[in-house]
Amino acid sequence: MDAAPPLIELDRLSRWYGSQPALRDVTVRLPPGRIGLLGPNGAGKSTLLKILLGLLPPSSGSGRILGLDLGRSGVELRRAVGYMPEADALVPGLRGAEYVALAGELYGMPPREARRRAHEVLTYLELEDARYRRLEEYSTGMKQRLKLAQALVHDPPVLLLDEPTSGLDPSGRDAMLRLLLTLGREHGKSVLLSTHLLGDVERVCETVLIVHQGRVLLYGGVDEVRARRQDRYRLQIQGDEETFHDSLRLEGVRILHHNGRGELRVAVPAGWQTGSFFALAQRSGVLLRGLLPDDEDLEELFHRTLASNGAAPDTEKDRRYG
Amino acid sequence: MGEPTGRTGPPQLLHYRPWKGVFRPPFVSVWPIARTGLALLLRRRMFWGLYALGLMVFLLFFFGLYLLAWFETQLGQARVMIGLVPVRPGDLVDLLAFHLHLDGSAETYSNYIYYQGYVVMIVLALAGSVLVGNDFRYGALPFYLSKPLSRRHYLLGKGLAVAAFINLTTTLPALVLFVEYAFVYSWDSFIRNGYLILGILGYGAVLTAVLTPILLATAVCVVRTVPLIMAWTTLFLLCRLLATALVVGLHFDPIWRLMDLWNDAWLVGGACLRIEPDAVEGVQPAWGAAAVVLGGVSLACLSYLALRLRAVEIVR
Repeated sequence: MDAAPPLIELDRLSRWYGSQPALRDVTVRLPPGRIGLLGPNGAGKSTLLKILLGLLPPSSGSGRILGLDLGRSGVELRRAVGYMPEADALVPGLRGAEYVALAGELYGMPPREARRRAHEVLTYLELEDARYRRLEEYSTGMKQRLKLAQALVHDPPVLLLDEPTSGLDPSGRDAMLRLLLTLGREHGKSVLLSTHLLGDVERVCETVLIVHQGRVLLYGGVDEVRARRQDRYRLQIQGDEETFHDSLRLEGVRILHHNGRGELRVAVPAGWQTGSFFALAQRSGVLLRGLLPDDEDLEELFHRTLASNGAAPDTEKDRRYG
Repeated sequence: MGEPTGRTGPPQLLHYRPWKGVFRPPFVSVWPIARTGLALLLRRRMFWGLYALGLMVFLLFFFGLYLLAWFETQLGQARVMIGLVPVRPGDLVDLLAFHLHLDGSAETYSNYIYYQGYVVMIVLALAGSVLVGNDFRYGALPFYLSKPLSRRHYLLGKGLAVAAFINLTTTLPALVLFVEYAFVYSWDSFIRNGYLILGILGYGAVLTAVLTPILLATAVCVVRTVPLIMAWTTLFLLCRLLATALVVGLHFDPIWRLMDLWNDAWLVGGACLRIEPDAVEGVQPAWGAAAVVLGGVSLACLSYLALRLRAVEIVR
């Protein structure tokens, strides 16, 4: 879908745990940039992340990330990628700067470079005042930024972020999302964001990948996949609503929602011309006061994609966030 | 795609600069893991009392050796009065030399490591959760294992920290005592008793090979400090009491002593130092049998560790 060399290229990649498939024939070609990985629990997101980190070999098929073979380049893969885990993953007793410097050394940086870079990254993430504080004393927001710092310390081209805004308050979440945007836009980092929070993906990512039951249901540019669904409108009318509703139904228009005060959302059949609304309104004797295309937000898209594949979000978290 | 908004604003991008450098191979990561483990041990103030205790054992032997040499050369057979009691320094020298073996013999170093072992055991029992248990308890393993290193490197790093601590408190001071003896008595001791250096290193290696996997395995198994102390006490104290009760009290075959792992390590360490079997107190099993038991226990612990680490989910 893009002429640039792909960031992630998976070709009929499958992974089985015994007889249980976790990923089935996944074939995608994702360009560098900010990518959102979505899916309900058990969809295969974690398995995909493990494979991308070189922690798990695929059972069949092949894949490459930054040109590195997923089946054979475990160490090189993890060096090219900065991984931010969802869990705290902190080493109690260490101080912030020590923790990030240790991460740098574990990535293979020379000790002095790792220490210097740790201070730089912590300053960059506005944790400079907390550098010498013990990790146990960090707040949730600081911990999230610290985890990002340890993923960023060796300046990887790709960041794999597992629920980076988990547990953050709205302002902390906003700050984190802005940071991710800046990392992507200004510093050229590719970001793979695995999250349940569709709003995060919508705000940060250019590309979205939806997986369910080990299969890719949908992938493409966020705007592009949202625009695929141009069959919904918001209408505002004045006059006899029932007559207008009947006229719409006769033309095959589905009324998704109406509030009884003249506002309604509708889904139109294929080939529908926008001008038809005016003709119907005139015929029904109502005044059409408002007409807006009603683009799906990502949450709706996610639910619709799952529903059209016979799946329903399977946890409370999924029900809330998709 | 909307733009994030908010009054608090994002973190300002202050000093980000790309890093260009050469990465080192994964096995080098073993050292930072070990160094961090040791640093965490040294930071616990509570442990410093125990380190002081260990230092006292060392100083007892260090100055004991020195004083004996001094007594022998300076006082000879003369009598001195301590209050109203006449004391012949030679008798004191003989007493110390007999009981503590402060005579530069193999027993000197064997005894030193044996006594120092009590301190080591207590520190290790307390340190297990700091070194390894907390990684499991607080989910730090994904931090390590998501880096370009394997589970083997993680284990080696933690093992190196334990090994460094054991050897810094037993083997290294024992070697210092050996050098001191040669300085105080005669330089040719380096040549005559050169085998003792290998013996001390061997004893240290035995302790390292036994205590490291046992500590890591018990720490991974029980994680928290108090259960770890209980497990450690059971392994090294209750088993010892039970073995003694069976062999000495109930006159069971000496092979029952093999359940006392600390005694086993002492037997094998004694063999490294070429201590004659007659010199080993009480009825003991053969050191070879002790070595087999220790090897079996170490292997079992390593297998358990491998299984537990393999089961860790880095991406949840």
